[in-house]
Amino acid sequence: VNGGLDLGLGAQAAAIAAGDVDPGELLDATLARIEERNPALNAVVEAFPERAREMLTAAPEGPLHGVPVVIKDEWPLPWRAQRFGAAELMAPTSPGESGPYRALRDAGAVVVGVGNMHELGAGSTGSVSVYGPARNPWDTERCPGGSSSGPAASVAGRLVAGAVGADGLGSVRFPAAYCGLTGLKPTFGRSAMEGHHMAAITTLIVSGPLCADAADCRLLGSVLFGEELDAGDPAGLRIGIVRDPVSKDVTPEVDEACNAAIETLRAETGGEVREISLPGLEAATLAAILIINSESMSGVTPERLNRLDPELSAVARGTLKYRMLLPAAATAQATRVRTMMRRRLASLFDEVDVIAWPTVPAPAPPLEMPMVELPSGTLSADQANVRGAALANLTGIPSISMPVGLSGEGLPIALQLQAAWGRDELLLDAAEALERANGRRWVESLPPLAEASPTEA
Amino acid sequence: MEGKAPADDFIPAGLASLGIEADEVDLAVIGAVHRLLWAPILELLALDTEGLELERCPDHSKAPQ
Repeated sequence: VNGGLDLGLGAQAAAIAAGDVDPGELLDATLARIEERNPALNAVVEAFPERAREMLTAAPEGPLHGVPVVIKDEWPLPWRAQRFGAAELMAPTSPGESGPYRALRDAGAVVVGVGNMHELGAGSTGSVSVYGPARNPWDTERCPGGSSSGPAASVAGRLVAGAVGADGLGSVRFPAAYCGLTGLKPTFGRSAMEGHHMAAITTLIVSGPLCADAADCRLLGSVLFGEELDAGDPAGLRIGIVRDPVSKDVTPEVDEACNAAIETLRAETGGEVREISLPGLEAATLAAILIINSESMSGVTPERLNRLDPELSAVARGTLKYRMLLPAAATAQATRVRTMMRRRLASLFDEVDVIAWPTVPAPAPPLEMPMVELPSGTLSADQANVRGAALANLTGIPSISMPVGLSGEGLPIALQLQAAWGRDELLLDAAEALERANGRRWVESLPPLAEASPTEA
Repeated sequence: MEGKAPADDFIPAGLASLGIEADEVDLAVIGAVHRLLWAPILELLALDTEGLELERCPDHSKAPQ
């Protein structure tokens, strides 16, 4: 049906390899789907019909031969410089072969378009972008999550079956959570990052896959990692849960769905759940914010800040200027907190295999007002979301977000698992185990927008 | 000076010392971010990390040595 358009990433690749799907027809169907659905989503900010056909013609036999994908507006392509969702960047950019692009091309994938993103990568909602916000396929008045908003909305809206995002403070996991996808934040340094305008500076940002399920994330992740992410058996999984604000200051629906998923995962793996203590999470969140702020200002001069593009949002302009006032001592202290948390985690991962907590404390908020109601009060979604995400970036550990339910309003709820350095495969194994246990109920749930379409005729 | 917030001095003085221009909108945003971050920054600075041995050239792709 539809040249394989509604299959998953791995199924598309397998169908093409078996000769059951013609990659040219799949590409045409994908481009038609983008034309049809993108006006409601603003997920793809630029599609490349001609470039995509050229890529397909030249595509080598590889694990993604002929499979269409979307890449975030964070990496250059040979024919397009990244815009980072903004009127301007603080670093020079130019077209080129970024690491993720090269990995996709060498795997035989076809880049059909660039995915929207939150301006300068500086938001968890996707509500601000030079292109206008991307919209959540589950409810187009809701935030798709950020900063990898377009890649997530592209996959959730079934424009493509896989997309490449980037995660510096949760930017793969937030949109995965809001859009009901599986998103992997790899161990720092494990996935392709060449060509990113901060590649030489960042100690937090990684590229990562956004797909419908863990198997597809494993496939796209293997391409980005340049190595096979072998499947294993997570039998006897030791799951650590933390009883602190990250886990408890969440909506009752999120709490219930995540607790149920943790218990399901424990039962499926024959494992155990242990309550663990992880002091310093609040300091870790601030430390990650200070470090990424500091790294993002590398080479930025006061004079440069006096020439900001007027098309940058007011929040971006003010925040960039404020970053120049942050005390160096605070960033130095952030580095010390980083060491402290890395040591604490190393010790904890002797006791447990994964640490579980909700990816985000509440489902996607409205685009018009990205605030969330939590037991502690009303918070901006950014403020609330970063608390659960920053630890993985600060310390370098891998993390995965997977869908575990739908709210009363029909919006996805997500659980996050974090594991020790280099154990990305274990996270994928655990996510697959949970999918098996719940009958793939949540990874196969479709947003209303993707359930029916003229292109399915 | 009654009711004056610390940011009232710190922000304009800091920006001016660096030669950074800021209009009213910039100052409103900066003030809001400052109110959000400053107290946690002070708490962070007050955190006792004495005795913590820093990682030398840390490799964030691996567990600490």
